[in-house]
Amino acid sequence: MRKLASFGTDETISRVVGQYSAMLLRLAAARLPCVADAEDAVQEVFVRLLDTRPVFRDAEHEKAWLIRATLHRAADIRRKRAREAPLEELAELSVEPPEPGPELLGAVRALPEKYAAVLHLYYYEEYSIKEIAKLLGLPAGTVGTRLARGRERLRQMLKEEA
Amino acid sequence: MDRKTYKREVDALPFSPDFQARTEAMLRGRARGTEKEMLRVKFWKKTALIAAAAALLVVSASAVALRLSAGQVAGELGQHTLAQAFEDHNAVAVNETVQTGDYSVTLMGLTSGANLDDLNVDVDATHTYAVVALGRLDGTPLENETFDLIGHTLTPLVSGYAPGQVNNWTLAASVYGIAQDGVYYFLLDAGALGVFADHTVYLAFYDESAVPSARIFTMAEDGSISFAEDYPGAHALFVLPLDPALADPAAAQALVEPFLPGEDTAGETPVQESAPAPDSPVLTPVHADA
Repeated sequence: MRKLASFGTDETISRVVGQYSAMLLRLAAARLPCVADAEDAVQEVFVRLLDTRPVFRDAEHEKAWLIRATLHRAADIRRKRAREAPLEELAELSVEPPEPGPELLGAVRALPEKYAAVLHLYYYEEYSIKEIAKLLGLPAGTVGTRLARGRERLRQMLKEEA
Repeated sequence: MDRKTYKREVDALPFSPDFQARTEAMLRGRARGTEKEMLRVKFWKKTALIAAAAALLVVSASAVALRLSAGQVAGELGQHTLAQAFEDHNAVAVNETVQTGDYSVTLMGLTSGANLDDLNVDVDATHTYAVVALGRLDGTPLENETFDLIGHTLTPLVSGYAPGQVNNWTLAASVYGIAQDGVYYFLLDAGALGVFADHTVYLAFYDESAVPSARIFTMAEDGSISFAEDYPGAHALFVLPLDPALADPAAAQALVEPFLPGEDTAGETPVQESAPAPDSPVLTPVHADA
């Protein structure tokens, strides 16, 4: 197994940004209702990759790092936005109503991260349960459970809205 | 869930068409800046050795008046469930102070638990939270308007793991802050830090924004971590009294797995002062701590 070249050269920057930007932006946008926040989150992940320059075993290891880092950063931004919200909105934020916008995407965004991330990776990126388990560092059974529960929550959420 | 509908909605998101080009340009500029900075740091480290003996004094009581308790800090930041947790019997009041550079740094206390974060309903796993107070020794007040929160780093570290492997970033730790009565209070959500409770777990403070690395920290053969002897800025390192019952080696391994070196790189870049790349955390094999 050959390790990947460390991030930081023009070549590796082009490769990594070209290869992963679209996927990470979609993932961040599945957690953050504001596109600008999603773009900020992904840029910050790339900056962190440049600053830390971890050594990856292979492409899968690199992808898993980027996906988890993006989810972490998106969670940070959600928390920050909640902090910035006026106090009277906090009660509403605690139940996280779907954001205005696309109905299904809005509902996915309103789910807790553990469900939303799995649903997004499964339905949009079309990863298998086994692949998602590897990417998120979870047992496959946990991913399957989250997928089922996430779908059920989504169904109830959309039913209540209708 | 209808895959086609979901994909259509995601595909309709108005991402900036120049995102990739803009990001690549920014990263290239930053990479070049980092190289220059590495050269500057090498030079600076040689010439500033005397200043590097930054006085570090551990004292039992803070030289700065702290008018808030850890729970009150959480309450001021809108975290009322957490505020209550800091007041109950599971919380640990530490109140250990380090005087370093111009500052007095106090680890006030910590608590761990699930569903304590009012502002982030995603946090249903057990997280560890710590409150740290920062004050100036000369009495100059720290204020919300002028204090640079991201210009200071508060990060957990775990013995046996290189600082670049387990830190505020890899644990997805978050810091909030608020100034009151001239003191700046940090509330750190250190993530699932408790799973490492069978190791020595540290909380490090330093007054710059930089990823924990071999430039800032050294790790001894037994895995214990300390600041580099010539680290010049204000800094403090506390040991967190975590409940050993929180330890979960399997969960800890799963957490750090993405940040561990590849099999063929193990031991390639040991943590030592002569490590080649300042600002670049060095990834080393995990040593058992216990």
